[in-house]
Amino acid sequence: MLNQNESLDVSAKTVEEAIDQGLEQLNLTRDQVEIEVINEGKRGIFGIGSEEAVVRLTPKPQTVVSSQSHNDIQSAEAASDVLPEVPATLEKEDVVEAVDAVDVEAESSTEAIAQPPDAEAEIPLDEETEPEQDVAASAKAYLEELLDHMGIEAEVTPRIAPDLVDPGEEPPLVLDVTGKDLGILIGRRSETLQALQYMVRLMVSKDMQSWQRIVVDVESYRARRRRSLSQMAKRMAERAVSSGERVVMESMSAYDRRIIHVALRDHPDVFTKSIGRESNRKVTIIPK
Amino acid sequence: MSSMKELVEFMAKAVVNDPDSVIVREIEGSSATIFELSVTPEDMGRVIGKQGRVANAMRTLLRVAAVKEGKRVTLEIV
Repeated sequence: MLNQNESLDVSAKTVEEAIDQGLEQLNLTRDQVEIEVINEGKRGIFGIGSEEAVVRLTPKPQTVVSSQSHNDIQSAEAASDVLPEVPATLEKEDVVEAVDAVDVEAESSTEAIAQPPDAEAEIPLDEETEPEQDVAASAKAYLEELLDHMGIEAEVTPRIAPDLVDPGEEPPLVLDVTGKDLGILIGRRSETLQALQYMVRLMVSKDMQSWQRIVVDVESYRARRRRSLSQMAKRMAERAVSSGERVVMESMSAYDRRIIHVALRDHPDVFTKSIGRESNRKVTIIPK
Repeated sequence: MSSMKELVEFMAKAVVNDPDSVIVREIEGSSATIFELSVTPEDMGRVIGKQGRVANAMRTLLRVAAVKEGKRVTLEIV
């Protein structure tokens, strides 16, 4: 487990965010640690040439407070994904990557690429303003051309997908991509799949002049991911209830966070809330 | 014209307001191929996006094409 007195290096977009993340990992408050700024980070222009801020947090000797809850999350996630051994001294990011290497399904997307540019809403449900068929045909054509230029041979089938949302919600338009060896289209932390989806949304939305919530799926990855996230949410909820402490999950995209919120919406003993900013937003499960 | 260059052109033209001004230059480096994308100043934000999101999505997809061709690539917006 994490050594209580060892210092922890954390990187994030800004110094403040890095400190907050670090404190969360250590489960300490600001006055319980020494904070050393290793790199202030640079914002860059339009996100180009930006540098991550790095801080080093060293717990003060007298504050040997349990970092139980965080380590529990790590070990629980690691165990549930049948990961052989994760050194507990790894930073959160490393753990996520280690998990990725074992099971692409278990990964957590920290980049919320799937969001529309200004979306902060937890429940991004756009009303379909255009005839659905036009959107479907246009989206299929754009995706096929993208894949063709990328040198990928695959079949694109549009469908309305009630299986990817909960009962009572408006099912989204999904473009199912099927073919051989399409793992390359999902990528590490589903980065490639999110990029593909984002580009298709941009292209179609520009034509339609309204934001289109199109989902791109490869070999039913989305459905599998939904299942594993809901299952994880339920395990973490049990943990929160039995420990009586809130459980903070990994940072996730808006879409993934929403799956967690919905999975625990009717849970009798916990409620959920997202904390943190932009790509660092995390679902917190709080016992009632 | 390589299909990677076509890919960059296709993506850029689909998101800008002035597709006719999209120019992609392909530069063969010793270790990697560089694609230089230029658009009108008004369209810069559209190919870069908030926090570089559009540019990064284009880079990610370009990288898939490059892996398919066994090449290393970079995309620069100039």
